[in-house]
Amino acid sequence: MDKKIKFNTKNLDLFYGDFQALKSINLEICEKEVTAFIGPSGCGKSTFLRCLNRMNDLIESVRIEGEILFDGQDINGDIDVINLRTRVGMVFQKPNPFPMSIYENIAYGPKCQGLKDKTQLDKLVKESLIKAALWEEVKDRLNKSALGLSGGQQQRLCIARTIAMQPEVILMDEPTSALDPIATAKIEDLMSKLKKDYTIIIVTHSMQQAGRISDKTAFFLMGEVVEYGETPVIFTNPADKRTEDYITGRFG
Amino acid sequence: MGRKVKDNFAKGIIYLATGITLSVLIFIVGFIFVKGIGLVNFDFLTRDFNEKVFYAFVQNEDVSMSIDEEALKQKTPFDDRYESLIEGPIYVDNIGAAIAKVTYKNNATEHEQLVISYIEKNSPLTNAADSTGKEMRIGTDYVIQSINGTDFEGLSLDEAAALIKNQSDELKIKVVQPGGGVKSNIITTLYMVLLSLVIAIPLGIFGAIYLTEYAKPGRFVNTIRFAAECLSGIPSIIFGLFGMAFFVVALKLQISLLSGSLTVAIILLPVIIRSTEEALKTVPTSFREGSLALGATKLQTIFKVVLPCAVPGIATAVLLSIGRVVGESAALLLTAGTVAQIPGTLLSPGSTLTVQAYYVAKEEGNIELACAIGIVIIVIVIVLNILSRIMSDKLDVFNKK
Repeated sequence: MDKKIKFNTKNLDLFYGDFQALKSINLEICEKEVTAFIGPSGCGKSTFLRCLNRMNDLIESVRIEGEILFDGQDINGDIDVINLRTRVGMVFQKPNPFPMSIYENIAYGPKCQGLKDKTQLDKLVKESLIKAALWEEVKDRLNKSALGLSGGQQQRLCIARTIAMQPEVILMDEPTSALDPIATAKIEDLMSKLKKDYTIIIVTHSMQQAGRISDKTAFFLMGEVVEYGETPVIFTNPADKRTEDYITGRFG
Repeated sequence: MGRKVKDNFAKGIIYLATGITLSVLIFIVGFIFVKGIGLVNFDFLTRDFNEKVFYAFVQNEDVSMSIDEEALKQKTPFDDRYESLIEGPIYVDNIGAAIAKVTYKNNATEHEQLVISYIEKNSPLTNAADSTGKEMRIGTDYVIQSINGTDFEGLSLDEAAALIKNQSDELKIKVVQPGGGVKSNIITTLYMVLLSLVIAIPLGIFGAIYLTEYAKPGRFVNTIRFAAECLSGIPSIIFGLFGMAFFVVALKLQISLLSGSLTVAIILLPVIIRSTEEALKTVPTSFREGSLALGATKLQTIFKVVLPCAVPGIATAVLLSIGRVVGESAALLLTAGTVAQIPGTLLSPGSTLTVQAYYVAKEEGNIELACAIGIVIIVIVIVLNILSRIMSDKLDVFNKK
C-alpha cells in the first residue's frame, strides 16, 4: 500500500471561459497502478486527464487554478512542457497513427528528441512493438503505411509509439471506445502487463472495463470527484449514493 | 402535372447551359488547332524566333562527299512553311557541304536565297568560329549571303558554287541562322514558371502556416485573409504597373526575367496561401495532438506531420499557379519584355509564349502564328499539369497503404 505518489492535485479548478469544468479536484495517483476515471459524458474526466500532460494548452480559453504536482513538482509552473510530455505519454480515443510507415510512426518521437542512430532506433522500435504485443503481427511490414492496419492494431501501434518514448506515465483517453470486443480485450490484456513498468491512468465509459483492469477508481460527476478509492470498494460498497446510482446504471 | 413541366423546363436549362459551355470550349480549342496546326512542326519548336545574321570563319579544307547524288537530292531540310527548292543541290568540296537555291516567301516578302542543304560529318562548317573567335557550327537550312566580301546576290547556283571553290584562303561567310521558331519562348516560359514558383511557393506556404497554426484567430488574421482575397481579384495589369515601377525602375532590376518572375510571384501568392490554408485546415487535429503528446515541438509537428498531410492541397495550388504563370501576359509584357531570346542571366529580358502570341497577333497581325503558339501553350499546360499530378500522387501520404 505504500506506493509512491506520482501525481498529486491540490484544489484544481479549470475554466473554459466562464464555464467551470473542474471543481476543486484533490487526487493522489500512485505509481505503477492502473487508475480509472469513470463518470457520465461531460463530467470532466477527460479534461482532467488532459491537464496531466498539459494538452489543454492547445485550447485557447482554458484557465487553470490550483496545483498539479508531478513527482512533487508543479507542472503548471515554469517547466519544460516538451520534457513533461516525454515523461507523460498519451493514447487517444480514436487511433491516430500518422500517415507514415509503421516504423516511422514509432521512431517519430525519439527522432524528434534527436535520436539518429539507426541501430538504436531499430532496437527501440522492435522493443516497443514487442511490449505493445504487436511485433508478431507487423514485423514483416514495418515499412508499410500504418494506415493499412486494423483499428485495434492501430491503437496498439499508438501505445507502442508512446512506449518508445520510455515514459513514466501513460494517459489513456477511452482507448477502446472505437474498437470491437476482441481488440478491446487485447488492449486490456496489454494494460495489465504494462502496469508493471508504467503508471497508467485511463478514462473509460465502460464500468466493466474499469472493474476489470483498474486498481483504483475515481468517479467524476459535474466536474467534481465524488468518490475515489480502491476499485473493488467503489464497485461493491460505494460510500456515496450518487456513485451507487451510477454504477448500478440508474443514470449516466 | 405542373410540377413535371417545371422539372423538365429546369432540366432543359441545365442541359442547355452545359451544352453551350462545352461547345464554346470545343470551338475555341478547335479554332486554335485548325488555324495554327499548319505552322507547328519540328523547326517551329527548335528554332529561334528571329533570324540571326553573322559572319562565320571557316577553314578551307576539302572534304569529299560520302553519299551519292540521288541521296543528296533527298536532303531537303528546308522550312516548307516558307521555302521551296528551285535549283540544286550542288556539292562544294572545300566547305564539305551542299548548297541549293530556294524561294523564300513570307507574308510580305518573296525572294531567292542560297541555303545549305547538306553538311558532311567532318565538314569545316561544323567547326567554325564567329567574329569574336567563339566556336560555333553552321547547320542545314542556314542561308549564305556572301563569301570573303563577294555577294551571292544575282549569281546562279553554279556561279556561286564556283565562287566558293575558287577561294584559296580561310573563308569568311556571311550566314543567316533561320528564325520562325519559338524555342526561346518555350524556354523563357519554363524559366518563368520555375522561378516564380520557387519564389512564391515557400512564401505562400509559410504565410499559410502562420495563418492556420500560429496566428490567433481574430481581426488581424481576418484582415490578412481579406487582403489576400482582394489581391486575387485585382487585374494583373495593375501588378504589372507595380512591378514596372518597383522592380524594374526603383530596384533597378531592369525589364528582365527576375522582374517578371517577382511580379508573377506576387500574383500567385494569394492563390497559394488560400489553397494551402484550406489544405492545412483539413489535417485532423488528432495528428497534431498525437505529435505534441509524443514530446514533439510545434515546429516539428508542423513540418513532419501536418505539412506532409497537406501535400495534395498544396499540389493543387501549384497546378493553379502553373496555369496562371503560363497564361500571364499583361504583367509580363511590362516587366519581362517582348524580346524573343533565351534570357542569359536573371537580368536579361525574354518573352514567354503568351507574350509572344500577343505580340505576334497585335504587332504583326499574324493570327496563324499566334494560334500555333497557342497550341504549344495548351500542350505545355497539359504536360505540366500531368507531371505535377503524378508528383502529388507520389507524395500523397494517404495513398500508400
